[in-house]
Amino acid sequence: MSEVQVAVLYGFGINCDRETAAVFELVGAKSTRVHLNEFISKSLDIHQFDILAIPGGFSFGDHLGSGRLLGNRLRFALREELQKFVQDGKPIIGICNGFQVLVKTGLLPGPLEGEIKPDFVQRASLTLNNSGRYEDRWVTLEFDPQSPCIWTKDVSRISCPVRHGEGKFVMPDKKQLDQLSDNNMIAVRYVDSSTQIGEGITDEILPFPISPNGSSRNIAGICDKSGLVFGLMPHPEAIYARWLHPLFVQGQAPIIDEVDGSQMGDWEGEGLQIFRNAVNYSLGK
Amino acid sequence: MVILLPESVVRIEVTPKSGEDLRDVRGQFIQKQLLENNNLQFEEVRSIVGYLVLSDIAAEDIKSRAGDIFADPIIEDFCVDEVMIGKEEIFSKTPDIAISIGFKPGVTDNPGKAALDGFQTVFPKVSKDSKISTYITYLFYGPKQDTDTIQLSRALHNDLIEKSVIQENNFSEHALQFPLPPPQEFQPPKSINLNKSDDELIQISEQGLLALNLEEMKTIQAHYQDHEIQSIRIQHNISPDAPTDVELECLAQTWSEHCKHKIFAAKIHHLDQETGEKITIDSLFKTHIMQPTLDMQENTDWLLSVFHDNSGVIAWDDDWSVCMKVETHNSPSALDPYGGAMTGIVGVNRDILGTGLGARPIANTDVFCFGPPDWDKPLPENLFHPSRVLRGVHAGVRVGGNESGIPTVNGAIVFDSRFVGKPLVYCGTVGLMPRTLPDGRPSHVKTPTTGDLVYKVGGRVGFDGIHGATFSSLELTEESPSSAVQIGDPITQKKLLDMVLEARDSGLISCITDNGAGGLSSSIGEMAEYTNGCHINLDKVPLKQPGLSAWEILVSESQERMTISVRPEHAASFEALAELHEVEVSHVADFTEDGIFHVTHMGKTVAYLPLSFLHNGVPQLQLESEWRKPEHEPFNPPHDVDHSSLLLEMLRRPNIASKESLVRQYDHEVIAQTAIKPFVGPNRDGPGDAAVIAPIHGNSKGLVISCGLSPRYSDIDAGAMAVAAVDEAVRNAVCVGVDLQKIAGLDNFCWPDPIQSQKTPDGRFKLAQLVRANQELERMCRAYHLPCVSGKDSMKNDYGKGEEKISIPPTLLFSLFGNHPDVRMAATSDLKHEGERLYLFGHSSQELGASEVAFHLFEKGEVSGIGGHVPRLENATEKFEQYQKLSQAIQKGLVRTAHDCSEGGLGVAIAEMCIAGRRGAVIDLDGLGDGDTWGRLWGESLGRIVIGVSPHQENELMDFLEGCDIHLLGIVRGDNLEVIDGIDDLLDCSVSQLTEAWQGTFGGGEMFE
Repeated sequence: MSEVQVAVLYGFGINCDRETAAVFELVGAKSTRVHLNEFISKSLDIHQFDILAIPGGFSFGDHLGSGRLLGNRLRFALREELQKFVQDGKPIIGICNGFQVLVKTGLLPGPLEGEIKPDFVQRASLTLNNSGRYEDRWVTLEFDPQSPCIWTKDVSRISCPVRHGEGKFVMPDKKQLDQLSDNNMIAVRYVDSSTQIGEGITDEILPFPISPNGSSRNIAGICDKSGLVFGLMPHPEAIYARWLHPLFVQGQAPIIDEVDGSQMGDWEGEGLQIFRNAVNYSLGK
Repeated sequence: MVILLPESVVRIEVTPKSGEDLRDVRGQFIQKQLLENNNLQFEEVRSIVGYLVLSDIAAEDIKSRAGDIFADPIIEDFCVDEVMIGKEEIFSKTPDIAISIGFKPGVTDNPGKAALDGFQTVFPKVSKDSKISTYITYLFYGPKQDTDTIQLSRALHNDLIEKSVIQENNFSEHALQFPLPPPQEFQPPKSINLNKSDDELIQISEQGLLALNLEEMKTIQAHYQDHEIQSIRIQHNISPDAPTDVELECLAQTWSEHCKHKIFAAKIHHLDQETGEKITIDSLFKTHIMQPTLDMQENTDWLLSVFHDNSGVIAWDDDWSVCMKVETHNSPSALDPYGGAMTGIVGVNRDILGTGLGARPIANTDVFCFGPPDWDKPLPENLFHPSRVLRGVHAGVRVGGNESGIPTVNGAIVFDSRFVGKPLVYCGTVGLMPRTLPDGRPSHVKTPTTGDLVYKVGGRVGFDGIHGATFSSLELTEESPSSAVQIGDPITQKKLLDMVLEARDSGLISCITDNGAGGLSSSIGEMAEYTNGCHINLDKVPLKQPGLSAWEILVSESQERMTISVRPEHAASFEALAELHEVEVSHVADFTEDGIFHVTHMGKTVAYLPLSFLHNGVPQLQLESEWRKPEHEPFNPPHDVDHSSLLLEMLRRPNIASKESLVRQYDHEVIAQTAIKPFVGPNRDGPGDAAVIAPIHGNSKGLVISCGLSPRYSDIDAGAMAVAAVDEAVRNAVCVGVDLQKIAGLDNFCWPDPIQSQKTPDGRFKLAQLVRANQELERMCRAYHLPCVSGKDSMKNDYGKGEEKISIPPTLLFSLFGNHPDVRMAATSDLKHEGERLYLFGHSSQELGASEVAFHLFEKGEVSGIGGHVPRLENATEKFEQYQKLSQAIQKGLVRTAHDCSEGGLGVAIAEMCIAGRRGAVIDLDGLGDGDTWGRLWGESLGRIVIGVSPHQENELMDFLEGCDIHLLGIVRGDNLEVIDGIDDLLDCSVSQLTEAWQGTFGGGEMFE
């Protein structure tokens, strides 16, 4: 494969499509913004793409529960297509509203045992933050090094913003939640930035604002059993460049080299590796 | 068409499940809000959301699929056609009170629209006339007081747009039914006889909410008495000697103050009683705003489009152009703070989308002026408490901006008791477009030609939003109409936005404009000027409900609509694109070149107006203004003041205190471009001076967005108020290192009615304030090489009449956007490191008149007046040269710390820098200028910025800034802010004390932990 083709979904209130398309291009892939109806009407074939990204946003205004209405369109209109895409071993990422969509279609976490064939059964949900409000604030994330998630390989800890009102992960069936944990499908969690890297992860619910929403076991994102489908509430694409980090003005002024757009150099932000991992995975297939 | 009967309505009720980790957050939120704002305490509050489905799908079928559509199986319980409250397995206790709130008929119900979309996903064959209406029921348990249920209900709903039903004993029945609008009877067009006396003409204007004055009515009367006009009208089979209601409404919209800016276009005879000087100004706009910009346009190549489009466009570089627009939405926000403000923000987004051939909104700004949040005096009829206005406006702008995917990057909130009568809600948007479109056309030039098809794109037309433009040109009264209020729908608009940008890039658009005030009559009427004529067929306009008469279809301001013209050969592609995006488009008009604004309905001509009369027929107002210097008791600072306590009090003042808890609820980072965010420093909670964004992904080239306003100074001189606004916007931009070679400004005036009349006996003075503000605006813009590229005015910001009348303080919001060479070099306000050296850039004078500290002590009763010198910045040209040097020093990396002095002067500025960096400082006021201690610590002289520099760069910086007015202040050290004046210790506060004071007023943190 010479060039990895990424489909970045948009339409109906998805709104992080441009930056999500941009970050895949920065790591060498070719991004196409695809309106959901282009897949449904088959004017574009989903299987010509290697990676599917469902970006953040407010699809259908979060009415009737975030991600639910867009999830239904996927579940009812693209059922077989998505099943095949996953079984073909192609990576899917859902960020923020995209994560909500994946959870509500049942693509995440998906079946917890046996064969990995999407069954579109919803097993978890993302609900209103304990604060009762939407907030934009930076959080610290730590990744499970044992996770099968192909997106998070060699990423240990990053900071990036959360921007949501419904990001509290709940899975009332404790047995299933334990299975999720045992399978290392809890790929990323909110952690206290003052802990040592590698020692931040805990099941004990952390206080606000370390955990911005009160998620069970501080879950920020999960993957399916194969590790190919990944979703998270925080926005790793929002830290594709270091100049987007709130603390970049600390310390001495930089000596500037040209940034040419294809090579971020020293100014690469800590979120970009996640997208590079999936592109490398597709290249290696 | 399927007839849908109200009897066939199916009801679904949904409530959050309970259990470990599961809560009814919505109920808890209301519980906390009622306690905080209304002092009403309950043991528990729970919530139920209801959906009323009016469709041709059988109840049984809906029942079997309801779980797929309306409820989340993991976290919600639902029931179909049952009473949820009565289900004992879910609600084991009976509530004490239940209040159900639903929309009144015809009011936009966004959750209902979304639910219908979801319903169609599951039932694709459902009738297109189906509707879903939503409501919410709150259940109250264990009241801790004798609860007045009427008061409780009022706290939860707005009677103008919502219906509320209270249940106390019997919960066995549903409170609300489907809100069917009463059938509207179609009124055929009629003609209105204007051969009447002057008094009768005025009566026609007032009764019809036309907001036309006598001279305007007489101009219209004369038009229809013209024999030539009459003979042409006979040929077109339209009432020859009298306007139709369609024509009169159309003229009223087009000639409204809102659309024609008649006060800014007026001839003003100005008398200055201070100097005795008399002058005549032929249009404030042309003289003081347009002319300076045109003069600057001659010396630059980057002012691409100014004044004539929906927003002003500048060339950012060879590849990109940038535009910006700021609007106000004051009257609707007073009546329905949430809906009014949301409509404001999504409305100004459309101005950007309607600029050139379509720009993409990339950043929002929000500036609000409210009454004091802790107001404890009686409220005039029909007004909401300022804290409720704040909450509603904030929520509206939050939802509007966040759901549209446009980051809110900059703004301000100002409090003053006179904004109780009318809040000011300024909403701004920055847009970006490629300079050249794929088909080679420059993006900022519209290219309509005769024969183009004119499409109405987006939402359908309804009764909502009739008379918005004329209504905003009248003062607010108890009888203000509810039809003037609308609720925006950001998701419908987002679909529209996605579609329009695709259409632009595919070369399908020849002309585009926003459908805002005045509806189709304004949008098509304005576009028709390009080709000199249009023909509108009202039969082709899709309606929300039947029964609208012709004039209502033409002037309705129903939201989320654009008007777009398309070459005939592109029509098919355009319609296919609309279908893909699920956006409704209708070909409603054609461009002609016969000079006529021609409207037909049901095969008949209902309007036949010469465009020249429609657009240029309005007579110029002749106004008088007279300036007398206002008398004020001088501000004499008290002796024996503890400046440490005073600083903490100042930091707690709503005008100064941190608004983080509010601002965090705006998405300020979507699009992944915001480098300098609203909050800065290691704890990400210090004040940012200006936003810096890098909107081209992978590129660190930036744009700066800032603003300034200072309504307080209008009490002494509205001219000084304007100077302060412009300087603050520029000063903020300098703090982050803006490129002063490429900055552009926007002037947004909000004024009380300045036309002398019985109800405005001080009109001459208010107009003189406007004259002075404009004169000073021109002086500042010329000195700062700062062209105004767009602006707006809102001239009737008064509440009530006579003794009861409340007028806002005259307020100019000045917004700025400009180039930043590289966002990586931006500076921020937080103190960076121990030993950093601090300097004050700029000169301090004894300028304490109408200052924040003067108002503070006056309100506390410790001084008897606020009078004195207001800052004027006489040496603005010199100031600009010095600003350029400082900005360049920041761009070179010599300065990483900068913060401007504004409300509360140097004292507040340095305290904010300590808070932002969580570091102490020792500073000495000695030698800073010619003021006394009060002047130097609390005075608000303009043009001042506190900067920090590392010791090893200090010499280089001083060499670079040679010739600038710059003074050594002190050093960053320890954990306390210590201020001395020579040998006198003035102030010593710990940084944690400062932080606590500054952050306490508007709270923060989590709601329920």
